[in-house]
Amino acid sequence: MKNWQPGHLREAWVLCFILGVVMLNYPFLQIFNKPTLIFGIPLLVLYFLVGWPISILVIYLFSRFLATPHAPTSPTEDEEE
Amino acid sequence: MSLGLVTTITLLYVGLLFTVAYMADSRQRISSLIANPAVYSLSLAVYFTSWTFYGSVGRAATSGLDFLPTYLGPTLIAFTWWFLLRKMVRISKEQNIVSIADFISSRYGKSASLGAVVTIFAVLGIMPYIALQLKAISTSFNLICPPEATGYSADTALAMAVLLSLFSVLFGARHLSTTERHEGMVAAIALESLVKIVAFVAVGLFVTFGLFDGFGDIFNRFLNQFPERADLLLMETAQIPYTSWFTLTFVAMMAIMFLPRQFHIMVIENTDEKHILSAMWGFPAYMFLLNLFVIPIALGGLLINQGDVSGADYFVLSLPLQHDYPALALLVFVGGFSASAGMVMVEAVALSTMILNHLIMPVILKLRFDMVDFSGLLIHLKRLGIVAVIFLGYFYCHVIGDSYALINIGLTSFLAATQFAPALIGGLYWRRANGRAALVGLCLGFIVWFYTLLIPSFVRSGWLDTHILENGPFHIALLKPLELFGLSGFDIWTHALFWTLFFNLGAFLALSLLTPAPESELEQREKFINAFGLSRQPQERQRISKAPSIIEFVDLMTKFIGEKQAHTAIANYVGDREIDERGSLSEFELPNLKRFAERTLAGSVGAAPARIIIENYLEARGSQMEDVFDIFGSVNLSRTSSREQLSVLYEAARVVASGDELQQILDNILDLFIQQFKFDLCVIRLIDIEKKTLTVRSQRGMSSLHLGESERELTQETYIGSTYLNNSVVVINDSDFMEKAKSAQIIHREGIKSFAHAPIAIEGEVIGVISAFSRSVKGVFTSEFVELFTSLAGQVGVAWRNAQQTERIITAREHEREMQIAKTIQLGLLPARTPDLKGIDLAGICVPAHQVGGDYYDYLLRDDGTLDLVIADVSGHNIGAALLMVEARTFIQSRARSLSSPSLIMAELNRFFYDDLTRSELFITLFYLTFDPKTRIATYASAGHNPPLLWRAATRTIERLDAEGLILGVRPTVTFDQEQVDMLSGDLLLLYTDGITEAENDQGEFFGDERLCALLDEFHALAASEIREQMLHQVRLFTGIHHFKDDVSLVIMRIDGETSG
Repeated sequence: MKNWQPGHLREAWVLCFILGVVMLNYPFLQIFNKPTLIFGIPLLVLYFLVGWPISILVIYLFSRFLATPHAPTSPTEDEEE
Repeated sequence: MSLGLVTTITLLYVGLLFTVAYMADSRQRISSLIANPAVYSLSLAVYFTSWTFYGSVGRAATSGLDFLPTYLGPTLIAFTWWFLLRKMVRISKEQNIVSIADFISSRYGKSASLGAVVTIFAVLGIMPYIALQLKAISTSFNLICPPEATGYSADTALAMAVLLSLFSVLFGARHLSTTERHEGMVAAIALESLVKIVAFVAVGLFVTFGLFDGFGDIFNRFLNQFPERADLLLMETAQIPYTSWFTLTFVAMMAIMFLPRQFHIMVIENTDEKHILSAMWGFPAYMFLLNLFVIPIALGGLLINQGDVSGADYFVLSLPLQHDYPALALLVFVGGFSASAGMVMVEAVALSTMILNHLIMPVILKLRFDMVDFSGLLIHLKRLGIVAVIFLGYFYCHVIGDSYALINIGLTSFLAATQFAPALIGGLYWRRANGRAALVGLCLGFIVWFYTLLIPSFVRSGWLDTHILENGPFHIALLKPLELFGLSGFDIWTHALFWTLFFNLGAFLALSLLTPAPESELEQREKFINAFGLSRQPQERQRISKAPSIIEFVDLMTKFIGEKQAHTAIANYVGDREIDERGSLSEFELPNLKRFAERTLAGSVGAAPARIIIENYLEARGSQMEDVFDIFGSVNLSRTSSREQLSVLYEAARVVASGDELQQILDNILDLFIQQFKFDLCVIRLIDIEKKTLTVRSQRGMSSLHLGESERELTQETYIGSTYLNNSVVVINDSDFMEKAKSAQIIHREGIKSFAHAPIAIEGEVIGVISAFSRSVKGVFTSEFVELFTSLAGQVGVAWRNAQQTERIITAREHEREMQIAKTIQLGLLPARTPDLKGIDLAGICVPAHQVGGDYYDYLLRDDGTLDLVIADVSGHNIGAALLMVEARTFIQSRARSLSSPSLIMAELNRFFYDDLTRSELFITLFYLTFDPKTRIATYASAGHNPPLLWRAATRTIERLDAEGLILGVRPTVTFDQEQVDMLSGDLLLLYTDGITEAENDQGEFFGDERLCALLDEFHALAASEIREQMLHQVRLFTGIHHFKDDVSLVIMRIDGETSG
């Protein structure tokens, strides 16, 4: 991640966003849409309980990376039109 | 629970909020309490209202997982915040934007109509949502201390409306701010968010681990007890089809960004862009934590209440109450109160700001109340706006009661906020987006929103006949609000989302593509789209005629934002700017001041009204923003000016380098100028050293005797004179304001509105002045133009110097050509050939050091057969010397034959030359020898000339032929000695000038006559002409250079055998 260019970073954001949209919609959800219990918790509920924190963790890692000095905090770099 | 306790706790809590808010507000100036990423993240949780605080559990208990998209959507959109939200924050900061209506209106050229439309729709869409909050507080209050138990019958919703109005006014509109930031309110919101999550998680823990044995236990018991309700934990059920799941996720994404209160908290109240980074994960984490216990509480509630869903919306509160945990119940009540209060406050402040700025201000400005100070009125109007918004909500809640309309108002509001998305996001990234398209799209979107969402809710509330839903209006089935144009099979939200966006986005895209953005939107468009671009100062294209002073701007601002704010603002502005000697800002700074004043006002009244205020003000006092004449002849000056400027300079440089004559160049430069900048008159004056005046050298444009044709004295009394004398540019952008009376007279007579003079200087020396006059426009001369003008003056200077140098070269060439002619003539005056005499071998040469020289030699053949040899040296090598040489030759050629002896000739020459030589301060040395071939006797006289050398063949020795005699021109009368010498066969006579003996080598040695003698001895056997060549060759070898420094002349005579006449 250290050698990532600003353009890469932005693409990564967009990719994560799209991935998130896909994973929280049909047909992806259909995978977990089963009346199965795991550790006594319905599969679909468990999916949300695990998937959601993971997505938050991803954002957290990204924001940590952006906050470090070597990251392109200068807006012109990562927002070139 | 006792009414007194609940009321006391509530009031204590409000008191706590008030204290926190007050502290934050008073610390505002020292260090911002809310300037902290955690506070920012917490304040975003104003999203989490009582609709969700209580309603999520209700939804989970009745329809299942579809409470989740409302929170998953924001988590997903948080991925884009670093780009999308940060851009919105950046723009809002730079433009002092105060609301979402302001934002959209600003993007499209500060359009007043767009601002008004957004405001109306926001109020329509959100105000019922406020009703829902009041309703929730009142319901929860009734739950926690039931009226039947406590015996009170107060209207809690009304009490809440009053309390929240008070609070909102105190922290949202205590004074008119120039930034519309409310630190106190944000601090209170953050605290409320903290209370919300603590309360909710406490209930969650209580239910999950207190009443049940963890998550697994609840699911297990629920599925065992209600197996028929297992679909609550699944998707693609009757209640949650995937389409509605997607719709809810999408709508929540839009709502978190574009609900007026979210926009206000996220964008307007943001203190630091970096806080976005923390909020991106902090806010989703907050939502996750809250939602963690929604399903356990819902299922637990169902288990405890035997599957009864009627009270599901308030399980959060009722479960602790049922199990006799009053403290926890009170905490939950306070949490729910926080959720409602926070939302109502922020929403009321945001909406009242929008109403004031986009609905009331335009009316006030239209009516033009003539008030000294508007600021008091404005702040009262704003407070009134807040109270009005809250009470409208209250009345809405009161009138429609528990109807269907209220229950779904949350999502209805979300869909209303979604309508802002195309205009806003499109405006941020799409250049073609224009205001008209945004306006039409918004209006269509809201009409469809009203038709597909509000009409059905009105029907279900019983206000409208149900046949509209069943058969469509006027029995037109295609127009059924829930199956518009026959689109059926979707839930109400998906249906509404599709059709609203279809019309909204469709119209927005189509009109943007089909119609061009008007000129007035271009500047703002660039500021929005290039928000992260290099912040370049906009090119000033306007100037203010009869410009107001700083004080007048302050007075104007005072009118709207109060004296203190106005003075603080202006002090910050003027702080780092240059102020001229008259204590005012420079002309080019004034439009910036105007922009600053507009921006400051925008912070308090919004962009569109601020623009109107400033424009009205300037109009009222008779000043105008005059478009600075488009000096570079292009539409988009600010972006391309430097290129245009370069092209003019390039063109000018081309003219200068053309090699034309100076006059032509000057004319061409002025032509270029007139053509590019449409001046009425351009003049170049150059200094006339002798007359000490500036003389017109070129003039283009209108003919004006006074401005364009007359000379100018070098005085400080005229602008041209002072330009020349001070070597500085003079710019008069408004001829109504001139200090020099003499110039003013002429300028006014000619009807000039503005003019400029630039000194033409080359290498620091001023040589003239270039002037441009405009009859039509004031303020033509922007600082940028002056720069260009100065550069052009420099080019003229270069042209002038080039011309001067060319002239010198031409003069030199002409001189050289003349000298060449003189040289030819002079060489022609020397003997073209040697006389052919038997027994005498003669050779002579004259090599001038320069084109013309002062050396002379000649042979004269007399009638009696005698041969005269002359060699002379006029001092100097110039034309004067050459002329004397010619004179000497003329005399000798014409007179010598009539004079018998060399001494006589010498005496005559001396007399003849004396006057001329004395006058010209020149002198001549001359040697004259007459040789009689018959007697072989040479008779000679000398006027101070180098004694010729005679090489005697018999003895191989050298004799020097010396005779007394002064150089010519020293005295009027001189007697010259005359000597004789016999010359024998084989003898060699050498006559020479000092050019040979004084030829110098690089060690400073002279060639000297010793070497000459040796040469004569060495080469005596050669023919005279060969000896001559050898002599020159040897002298050149000695000096090491081909070219002689002095004229060199030689005459060699050799006697060969028999000589006769």
